Amino acid sequence: MPSYELSLVLRQLPRPELISVIKRTAESIFNKGGIIRKLENLGARPLPHKVSEHGVVHKEGTYFSIFFDTAPTKILDLKEEFGRDIDIIRRNIYKVEESAEFKCTLHDEMLPPAYRKDVQEIIDIAKRKHKPKYNYNSGLDYYPFQK
Amino acid sequence: MLKITQLIARNATVANLAGSRSLQPRLYSNAVAVNEEATTTTPNAATNADEPIEMANPFEKEPQQCILCKHNITPNFKNVKLLSQFQSPYTGRIYGRHITGLCKQKQQDVEQAISRAQHSLLMPGYHKDVDFLHDPKLFDPEKPVRPHKY
Repeated sequence: MPSYELSLVLRQLPRPELISVIKRTAESIFNKGGIIRKLENLGARPLPHKVSEHGVVHKEGTYFSIFFDTAPTKILDLKEEFGRDIDIIRRNIYKVEESAEFKCTLHDEMLPPAYRKDVQEIIDIAKRKHKPKYNYNSGLDYYPFQK
Repeated sequence: MLKITQLIARNATVANLAGSRSLQPRLYSNAVAVNEEATTTTPNAATNADEPIEMANPFEKEPQQCILCKHNITPNFKNVKLLSQFQSPYTGRIYGRHITGLCKQKQQDVEQAISRAQHSLLMPGYHKDVDFLHDPKLFDPEKPVRPHKY
């Protein structure tokens, strides 16, 4: 089961109701056969812009994120279920990925174009497309092909 | 016309060859002398201090690294303070690679993280967050690393 991160924006609610909303979302994850790894409270703050959701305009929200594991087939169902909840303003599920080791390629990118690998590949493609052209000063005084 | 010129050219070469025939023996003698010199100098070449040495390019620059690779930072969509540094304060648009000076991979990561942050209402899309307006600047958009397209 891959790891996912659910970032939630809940509408401004008193504390007991907030707890019940989070319990509801957690239970729906459990019902789909998921495991919760971590809960993060990012606090309540004003939204960057007003958001109209479920027929109400929101200007403040409570941010929450839930790290969980489920089968990838259940993600769409979960999203749909959270979408129906009127206390949730936004819900986004992102896959948690381990950052792979890689080397910075900035040095190669800053080389002059003729030394860059991607540019050399482009030049090769252009050369492959090049058709041989008839040389007019080759000694023949007529054009040997059909015009 | 072409044929005539070709004929003239051919004749001219023949005439030259005929003229140089008398010089041939002297040329051969010169060539022999050169060969002898070459054979005498080759054994000395290995020990000669004035010969060029094979070495790495001493003027080669140190490999550059982008600012995120240098400090080993992977951008995350919840790290809004970092991400807003790559955003224009006037329009909220993400600065391009020619301005930020990031490598391709990191620029892609930053762009993905910013779009995620904007979708999950952590970051405004049309302006920079007012709290971060006076953050230190990582680059100058007026002086891009590479020139603008326009």
